[in-house]
Amino acid sequence: MTAQMFFISFFGIAAVWFGIVVFRTFSMVRSALALLFSQTALGAMFLSMQAEFLGVLQIMMMATEMSIMAIFMVMFMMDPGGLGEMDMTHQKRLSLGAGIVSFVAAVAIAVFVDWGPAASSAPDAAQQTVDLGLELLGRSMLIFETAGITILTAMIAATAVAIQPVKRSNEHEH
Amino acid sequence: MTTVLVLLLLALGTYLVAVIEDWTCRGHFRLSAPLTAGIALLGRESIVPRKPDRIFFEVGPVLLLISAVLAATVIPLTPDLIITDLATGALFINAALVYVLVALLMAGWGPDGAYAMVGGWRFLGQLIAYAMLIVMPITAVAMRAESLLTTQIVVSQSGLWNILYQPVGFVLFFVASMALAFLPPFDLPTAKGELAGGVEAEYSGARLAVFRLGRLTLIITLAAATVVFYLGGWQGPWLPPWAWSAIKILVVTAVMLTAGRYMPRIRETDLLGWCWMFGIPLALFNIFLVGVLVLVFP
Repeated sequence: MTAQMFFISFFGIAAVWFGIVVFRTFSMVRSALALLFSQTALGAMFLSMQAEFLGVLQIMMMATEMSIMAIFMVMFMMDPGGLGEMDMTHQKRLSLGAGIVSFVAAVAIAVFVDWGPAASSAPDAAQQTVDLGLELLGRSMLIFETAGITILTAMIAATAVAIQPVKRSNEHEH
Repeated sequence: MTTVLVLLLLALGTYLVAVIEDWTCRGHFRLSAPLTAGIALLGRESIVPRKPDRIFFEVGPVLLLISAVLAATVIPLTPDLIITDLATGALFINAALVYVLVALLMAGWGPDGAYAMVGGWRFLGQLIAYAMLIVMPITAVAMRAESLLTTQIVVSQSGLWNILYQPVGFVLFFVASMALAFLPPFDLPTAKGELAGGVEAEYSGARLAVFRLGRLTLIITLAAATVVFYLGGWQGPWLPPWAWSAIKILVVTAVMLTAGRYMPRIRETDLLGWCWMFGIPLALFNIFLVGVLVLVFP
């Protein structure tokens, strides 16, 4: 077994384990940070697979996103510290079913799809960044720009909805 | 071998930062001050508060130190003196330093104390303010170098340092890195006198020593990053490359530590407002300007 296989398996197991921890804990902050470390382990898997740019990007983006999610969970949940032992799982039967179905589907796709011959060697990291940039600003530009604008619109709309309307004192009436 | 040497230099630099910080705070230059302060901290009892989130409480200070050291691994002190010259180096610095936020959240939430928790969440707001002003100036720097390799970024400044080529980016990055290292006037998460130490409040003894060590390492890492991105890294006449790196890093550190001492602590709302209303438009303007400059003077 090569070192690469070892690290991919190690971080893969870590990602799954932290994913399980998300639901095993009672504390919202612990749950959010467990999800963060699950995503960080995914980033480390990218690094083990020599996809350096994607790995670093994943590790960077998730830290901010999951921390912001943590404060939203603390704000909206009635028991953020978990002292009342609030359960993190709900709709158990449905989610169990959905989990099993998607697991089987993912394994089936991994096993039965003809992926073609594996690349004998990955291009070096700088070349990967160049390729990714050309891909993002070339063939896939429309998809990514559309997604980006959609997310931005959603964020602005969500903020606009969340802001309380300011009651202005109407001085001209008197 | 290089790794050990860089880590030793980082430790030495951190010690000097502690000396400079002591100097700027008290006005006396004492070379032994960090040593005695460190021994005193290690000698004291390290109290665990009641009902802590134990994992976060223990991991917070260590994670702060780890993220600062990780960011330092891609910073070149000379063309050869670098632990790993990642092809995504400039991005990796930022990726490692985002975990400063995670460390402070953990240190804030972990001890189950009001002041600590307020300090931790405050830093999240601070990140919303400074994060873009770290990333966008780095983008402009990478545009000029046409590479994310930190060594390539230094080489790209051989004609003209980035502090002159893109001064707007330098000012933004410098201010944002002071906010990242929560130095005064951006010391909102610790805020002595208002939050009684904030995220530091519940730590004592050896744990506090690790926390302070992490913070000092963070300061020197950011100073080194500023030197690499804007001050031509190891380049300079007469002296050998390592000496230029050392001099520049220490000067930047001294400016960082001194500048904030003469300003009142900024309010969180003001910080967010100014960063988003003035900082981000300026950063976008800087990217545009550098883009034009790169095309006109290749």
